[in-house]
Amino acid sequence: MDRNRGRRLWELAFRLGAILALALVVGPAAWLLVGVVAKAAPHWRWSVLFTPTTGASGGLANAITGTVVLMAGVLIVAGTLGVLGGIYLAELAPARRGGKQGSSVLRLATDVLSGVPSITLGFVVYIALVLGLHWGFSLAPAVVVLSVMVIPYIARSTESALAQVPTGYREGAEALGMSPGYALRKIVVRTALPGIVTGLLIALAISSGETAPLLYTAGFTNSFPQPHLIHTPVAYLTYPVWTFYNYPSNEAHTLANDAALILVVLVLILLIGARLITNRAERYSEGTGR
Amino acid sequence: MTTRSAVVRLTGEAKQWRERNQVENEYGAEPGRSVEHAAPPEVTLANLEDPLLETMDPESGRPKHVIECRGLSLSFGQSRILSEVSVKFQRGTITALIGPTGSGKSTFLRTLNRMNDKVRDFHHEGAVHLNGDDIWSSAQNLLSLRRRVGMLFQRPNPFPMSIKDNVVAGVKAHRIAKGKQLDVVAEQRLIEVGLWEAVRDRLDDSPFRLSGGQQQLLCLARALATGPEVLLLDEPTSALDPVSTEFVEALLRGLAPALSMVVVTHNLGQARRISHNTMFLYGGRLVEHGPTASLFEHPFDPQTERYVSGRMG
Repeated sequence: MDRNRGRRLWELAFRLGAILALALVVGPAAWLLVGVVAKAAPHWRWSVLFTPTTGASGGLANAITGTVVLMAGVLIVAGTLGVLGGIYLAELAPARRGGKQGSSVLRLATDVLSGVPSITLGFVVYIALVLGLHWGFSLAPAVVVLSVMVIPYIARSTESALAQVPTGYREGAEALGMSPGYALRKIVVRTALPGIVTGLLIALAISSGETAPLLYTAGFTNSFPQPHLIHTPVAYLTYPVWTFYNYPSNEAHTLANDAALILVVLVLILLIGARLITNRAERYSEGTGR
Repeated sequence: MTTRSAVVRLTGEAKQWRERNQVENEYGAEPGRSVEHAAPPEVTLANLEDPLLETMDPESGRPKHVIECRGLSLSFGQSRILSEVSVKFQRGTITALIGPTGSGKSTFLRTLNRMNDKVRDFHHEGAVHLNGDDIWSSAQNLLSLRRRVGMLFQRPNPFPMSIKDNVVAGVKAHRIAKGKQLDVVAEQRLIEVGLWEAVRDRLDDSPFRLSGGQQQLLCLARALATGPEVLLLDEPTSALDPVSTEFVEALLRGLAPALSMVVVTHNLGQARRISHNTMFLYGGRLVEHGPTASLFEHPFDPQTERYVSGRMG
């Protein structure tokens, strides 16, 4: 028994293991995608996109616009706070005091938040804002709960994107006499933009797929989103998926399947959009330049 | 006026003069009295008699020495990098900074435009004067100091923006020019560094498509665009091939009359080729400073002799 054969066997086992792992990851995702399309496609009606829901039938226009509004709200609130927080931690926190501590506090927050079931967050916001402050099921508490979920994530992805900006860029900017703020805006953040945008995108994708916290905060309505932050419920796409699927009517099932498909397409559009932004931001980067 | 390229073979008097100043330097410069440690290219009896005459440049009315360090000591925390360096850099010349790794060359260089200030536990004693003004005085604007004292790094570091935007990055930051003027600045500077013909049709391209040598020239154009008086170069050609190196060296020599330069280099041949004066640092001390040819051919200090002859370092 020579050692070479043992090594080759080990190599083979390793390869097979890797392929198996890949299949386990890609398989369910593909199955899910195919399943969603297969269930929605046969009875797809374009009118779903333009008619609002009536009871458990009609279309999904109200839920689509509601989800888009929610995502815009998360982008504004969590995007701003998360990105600024990440910039503060990576660039501005004094190395001696805040820097290390700040990022470890943030890391702790992220870990704790990712460990807390989102339904718990929803419940907390429900007690505190929906009931406590009498906001009712509405846009504001929904955006708050989704933002609380994703702000640590955005801050952390921003911080690590900034940490990867080459020292040479910073030194070059410094040596040219650029002020720290100017260098940050024109050189550092611009270089880190692809990473920051990717983080934002994943955060949006997470929030667009959330159901549990929204059940507690957003409510549901047949009407389109109103320009009110509180006291007015907002529709969203995961609600029909979650609720209508248990209804006895075929029409409700159809709507649930359509909502799932639209959600998937929405996330796909987000991904493609982010890819385009990233490509544009990277057109002068070292990686693509060569 | 002194000519810059002429390097004088040391006569007996001149050697005495240098020895005298070497001794003076060891005891530190007296206030109000200028110690001519940096031997000017032309050593004449007149300035041997009275070094004070040499402190002002009669043509520009500015101090003859663009940068002057007095008793400069640098340390990071407990470890001392540089001890009691007093030296003057003559306007319009190239000074080579040589010495083995860890001798404090780069730290010294980066101190001249205050790039070390933000480094943790950095501490300095003594003074550095640019045109007679203390670079650490509260009246000194750090950003405009760096506009006047440019820097070129060991590895080319163009920014991830178009070639044209790279050249004018500093110009934009300091609002020296805007709009159409920026195109003019970009063209002038690219011509100045000999890169114009190669990039004139792709000013909007990524700089990372350029070769390493071209990238370094681009960085040079960027540094020159803000109109610095002094350029600090930290091993500017060590990442380049020999042909690019030769090109950059020729370029630097050509910039000399208008620009004062301090070049850190491990390449002794390069120091000999491009510099008027050479400083030899060893173990954080300035061992010797003088006209390049005499420092290499008739080093005053035995350590210098060992280093420049290749028996050390």
